[in-house]
Amino acid sequence: MSALLQLTDVTKCYAAAAGANALPVLNGIALEVARGETLAIIGPSGSGKSTLLQIIGTLDKATTGEVLLDGKNLATLSELELASVRNQQIGFVFQAHYLLPQCTVWENVLVPTLANPSPSPLPAKRGEGGRRPGEGNSAAKTESVESRAERLLKRVGLGDRLHHRPGQLSGGERQRVAVVRALINQPQLLLADEPTGALDHASATSLSQLLVELNQEEGVTLIVVTHASDLAKRMGRVLELQDGKLVQR
Amino acid sequence: MKFRTLIQRNLRFHWRAHLGVVLGAAIGSAALIGALVVGDSVKGSLRERALSGLGNASFLLHTPDRYFSEFLPPAVETIANHRALNAAFRNASQNTLSNLPITINPDFSSRTMLVLRGTVSRTDAAQRINQVQVVGISDFASVLYPAAMTEGPKQVREISLTNSCVLNQRLAAALGLEAGSEIIIRFNKAASLSVDAAITRKNEQTATLRLRVATVATNGMLADFSPIPTAGKPVTVFIPLNELSSAAGVPAFEESGAINTWLLPTVVGWGGQRSPRSTQSGPSAMLEDGVKWVKQKLNLSSDHANPPHVELTTARQLTELSSLLSNAWNFQNVKLGQLRVVGRVAVLKTDRVFLDPPVARSALAAVTNAQPILTYLATLLRAGTNATPYSMVTAAGAPWTPVDLRDDEIVVSQWLADDLHVKPGDEIALSYFLPESGAKLEEATNTFRVRSIVPLEKPWADRTLMPDFPGIEKAESTRDWDAGFPLTYEIRKQDDDYWKQHRGTPKAFITLAAGQKMWGNRFGNLTAIRFPMPTNAIAEAYRIALEKAILANLKPEELGLRFEPVRDQALKAAEESQDFGGLFLGFSFFLIAAALLLMAMLFQFGLEQRAPEIGTLLALGFTPKQVRKLLVREGVVLAFIGGVLGAVGGIYFAKTMLHGLTTVWRDAVGATALQFHVTGQTLVIGLFASVVVSAITLWLALRKFVKREPRKLLAGETAEAHSKGQNLRAEVIAYGALVAGVALAGWAIVSGNTANAGAFFGAGALVLIAGLGFVSARLVGLVANDRATEQRTNEIISLGSLALRGCARRRKRSLGTVAMLACGSFLIVSIGVFRLDANRDATEKTSGAGGFALIGETTMPVVQDLNSQSGRDFFALSDQDMQGVSIVPFRVREGDEASCLNLNAAQKPRLLGVKPEALAGRFAFQKLMSGTDVKTSGWSLLSKTSVPDRAPVEPDEVPAIGDANSIQWAMKKKVGDTIDYVDERGQPFKVRIVGAVANSILQGQLIIDEAEFVKRFPGQSGYRMFLMDVPTNRVTEISATLSRAMQDVGLELTPAPTRLAQFNAVQNTYLGTFQVLGGLGLLLGSVGLGIVVLRNVLERRGELAVLVAVGFRRKQVQRLLLMENGALLAAGLGVGVIAAAVAVLPAVLSPAAQLPASSLATTLVAILLNGLLWTWVATRFAVRGDLLRALRNE
Repeated sequence: MSALLQLTDVTKCYAAAAGANALPVLNGIALEVARGETLAIIGPSGSGKSTLLQIIGTLDKATTGEVLLDGKNLATLSELELASVRNQQIGFVFQAHYLLPQCTVWENVLVPTLANPSPSPLPAKRGEGGRRPGEGNSAAKTESVESRAERLLKRVGLGDRLHHRPGQLSGGERQRVAVVRALINQPQLLLADEPTGALDHASATSLSQLLVELNQEEGVTLIVVTHASDLAKRMGRVLELQDGKLVQR
Repeated sequence: MKFRTLIQRNLRFHWRAHLGVVLGAAIGSAALIGALVVGDSVKGSLRERALSGLGNASFLLHTPDRYFSEFLPPAVETIANHRALNAAFRNASQNTLSNLPITINPDFSSRTMLVLRGTVSRTDAAQRINQVQVVGISDFASVLYPAAMTEGPKQVREISLTNSCVLNQRLAAALGLEAGSEIIIRFNKAASLSVDAAITRKNEQTATLRLRVATVATNGMLADFSPIPTAGKPVTVFIPLNELSSAAGVPAFEESGAINTWLLPTVVGWGGQRSPRSTQSGPSAMLEDGVKWVKQKLNLSSDHANPPHVELTTARQLTELSSLLSNAWNFQNVKLGQLRVVGRVAVLKTDRVFLDPPVARSALAAVTNAQPILTYLATLLRAGTNATPYSMVTAAGAPWTPVDLRDDEIVVSQWLADDLHVKPGDEIALSYFLPESGAKLEEATNTFRVRSIVPLEKPWADRTLMPDFPGIEKAESTRDWDAGFPLTYEIRKQDDDYWKQHRGTPKAFITLAAGQKMWGNRFGNLTAIRFPMPTNAIAEAYRIALEKAILANLKPEELGLRFEPVRDQALKAAEESQDFGGLFLGFSFFLIAAALLLMAMLFQFGLEQRAPEIGTLLALGFTPKQVRKLLVREGVVLAFIGGVLGAVGGIYFAKTMLHGLTTVWRDAVGATALQFHVTGQTLVIGLFASVVVSAITLWLALRKFVKREPRKLLAGETAEAHSKGQNLRAEVIAYGALVAGVALAGWAIVSGNTANAGAFFGAGALVLIAGLGFVSARLVGLVANDRATEQRTNEIISLGSLALRGCARRRKRSLGTVAMLACGSFLIVSIGVFRLDANRDATEKTSGAGGFALIGETTMPVVQDLNSQSGRDFFALSDQDMQGVSIVPFRVREGDEASCLNLNAAQKPRLLGVKPEALAGRFAFQKLMSGTDVKTSGWSLLSKTSVPDRAPVEPDEVPAIGDANSIQWAMKKKVGDTIDYVDERGQPFKVRIVGAVANSILQGQLIIDEAEFVKRFPGQSGYRMFLMDVPTNRVTEISATLSRAMQDVGLELTPAPTRLAQFNAVQNTYLGTFQVLGGLGLLLGSVGLGIVVLRNVLERRGELAVLVAVGFRRKQVQRLLLMENGALLAAGLGVGVIAAAVAVLPAVLSPAAQLPASSLATTLVAILLNGLLWTWVATRFAVRGDLLRALRNE
């Protein structure tokens, strides 16, 4: 199975006051993530976990090093290409769900489709190794985004809440909507930054389980940054960020 | 899910934030649309006023110094209708009405009048009104009743008055009189020869009528009519035509009254007709009226097929009118002259003494054997010690003079030869008054050699060779002559006997060329033409044929009988009037800018609140362009809603401005009454413009916002980063602008240009930019990470330094607030520097008053030279009265008032004729035509014969000089441009503007050389405007003396500084309006400051809560916030005031400085207090409640 994501000697430094040295947060990160893999990144507060996830998710840029996503070096892409990557290849789940309060559940889930004005019909599921049809494996049935949205929302138990607004949902329900939104364009990679950080224990457990199941059902590669050991344990691999480097746990 | 859906959701969800944006857009739109509606209202008011003064008239024929028969207009209409009916009969016989010519609809009548200029006084002499239109009219219905009641099938019966008159409302109000009162009317009598001629009576020029006021015309169709354009509405008295004609001594016509004004309400011509009743419905309805009339005349049924519609242009209609007039006029109904047959000779003479040059030209061209004659009065014929006074001399060819007679030879009658004891070869000196010397009676003398002596028999003994000199022809004896000159030479018995026996029989004969050289003048150079009849010709038939031949070569326009398309002209003048819409846009610019800035600020606040939402969209793969598009579309909807609200508000804004223009700002609009008008087009254009402007402003506000990193937006980080580069940039701009500003001000002072308001205003603006640059650099410096900041960490901080740091927290917001306050206070304070002071240096010859103390205007022309003894004696002015007084007289040709007080565009400005040397050194020239090299005086450019100064104009052009403001704003021209005129002979000519004087009392007209004036307008007699040099300590006394002495000619005097102040009041009022509206903008800016304060504080509630948590009292927190925002207020006002101080330096440096220090101080204090108030209100609001809750919510 070829690697979906490759990080080579990635560093991230923040500028300091004149005369002082720059503050390094990530120090020569090397990482390979296979298609369909699940990975948890843990570490203490301020260790740079969210920074690493944002670099992978193109929300931030590495100071040095290379980040290859599906063979493409993200540093060489233009802003428009990066936006396309974020829209089509990556799904992001934030700790604060960032749902649009003025839109319904249904509308929130479909917001990413507005960024791509002429989307082609999506396959019902990814094939083995998290590939789409035409990416090497057998073709699957295609479905429209609306069908996919309805299916996924039902899958996460919100089939009867389509027209409710975020303000009418619980914290866990909102986060599930955020997960569906992240998956609507069938991305190759799903990034979750402390997805259970704002949830109670029961909701957190439920969400954790959901993520794992979706990884298997949708074939999406999953990288999670978390403090929660329960969530980390469910991942196939756990790495710890210590002193700017990733070490195997 | 669609983009549209997301926009709708956003608009509805964030309505609270959007409300402020909509309000800002509404205020800006209201000001913009309101300004445009003001422009509509001014144009509409001018149009209404122009049309109301015309009744239903489309065309006007007005001849100030020529009269024609009351029957001429109906004759023209009869010819037109006759033509139409003839053609209609031809067509009808073919059972078709195609190509049917349409003509005058008899339902609409022409209006004919005799219009003179005069004065009206109360019988108790308590009030006298000058420049009154004295109108003789037969049918008073059109004066008393509106158009609807005087036109159409139900015509009001004709109304006539006897021994009474009707005043228009304006005149009645000016006199303070009602119906039943008596008034005294004075006006110029009709003169057969111009009073500018030497041999014409100068006294008894005016006639007087005492009449009872029958009623006051309020809404009559012609109550406000004026054949001459006026700035304000005319004052008019209407008198029965026959009474006025008789009193004015107007030449009588057979069985009809004499008139000089003809208003044509309908267009006469083929194929088209304008119907005032159907102006709303357009040409089709107009033609229907005519078609209906013709069908009626032909007894055709109403459903008979109509002809195709044919439109006529105004030019075509004028051509048709001229053609009809040519067919209708004759010697009798226009008094072109008298053509009589005496024996076997037809003689052409005229009551006007000299044959009009076009008539003479045409008559000489009509037949080949015409005999031109010029007979004039020789005051003295002298040979040696012998002299014969007051003799007629004829200049003509055969049979009176030998064919080979030389121009320096003379043929004398036997009587003269005997009286002077001369024989052939002797010399005779012939003295005569220069024909155009008027009251000056300048005498000239030429010498002739006697060629031969002729007997006192025909053809020489012919008393009819003398023209009808008024005051001479009917006198019984020479001593009874009353011809406008004193009989200074002794009248001997033989002279009187000669007159009694031979009357005006010439005593000598010279060549025509010699006579025309001496006596040819602008009124003509022939007094008669004789046409020997062919042998077998019948007298009356010959006369008729000759008359036809003369008329065939003559055009009515050559004698001033020209139709003017007054309706079109009035509408054009109104259409091209001062652009008040643009003017008020300029006045409201700061208010609009403040509103847009406020709107942008509130929109930005909303964006900052939605930062995580925007970051989410970017994180989900929206491109910045897509996010921008989304937000811009939201913005456009908000701008549209604001625009619609603004359109409604704009109407009220406009009404308020109009109320201001008719009350406190009425000096800006002169005598124009303004009504509210608005067109749908204006509202749509205004709405569109305001939406576009608002949308662009919002786009600018969000442009950079969406370019921020999604990560930062998600984290709610909306503050800008600061850099050392920004600090450096701001400092460079600041120092650069400061140096430039100081250099500019320094240059102006050093070069003596301390009165150059523009230079100092520019310097002030540069200082303003420098100040803002320094503020910006300071703000950056407060928060930049640098070594200086590190070193400061060991210093003890104070509440003040903490407050300063707070200012820099949101640098752009702070800078925006400071900039708005600085610009507002700068504009309001400094705009006063442009106020004009009429009294400054008024006595200087180069001032706007030209050094003149008084401006005089008379209703009747003054022929006398008021600088001469004889002239002063005429008005009983003593040497003591007039000591130290010198007067520059101007001839006046009425035209459009081209000053700031007339809002209409001046198409043909009033022309003044003056001797250029009389104005040498007066006024200050702002600009002269390029290519001129003036060595003596700019005024010498007026003279086409001036050496060395001569304006490079074409031979048929007339150089003119005017006031720079008039030229630019009222005439919409510049130096070097031309304006088309038509002279009295109907010949078009161009006036070229060769110079402009700065800000002067000459506003409103163009000045040309008097020589050119009399050449083009020979019929304009005398002078009617005067600029007077008077000792400053005697202005009031002399003003009273002259007003009393010259009341019969309607002299009105105005101090020159007062007139200049009236003109300056227009500009000063504009400045005042700008300051008021600018103040509104500043007020809005203060509101903006309050909103910024409130927003800043609400964002920092957590920080403020921490201060409370560590022991700060609430009052200390409030003080901290007040200090912070007070610093911004102080910075804004400080920068603005310092910059304004530079701008007002001209006023400070001027010795006659009238800097309104107290009002300026009041304004600034008001601005400061207003700003503090809003700051305090916002601070109080923001720190209310439990601040500590913010910590718990965190």
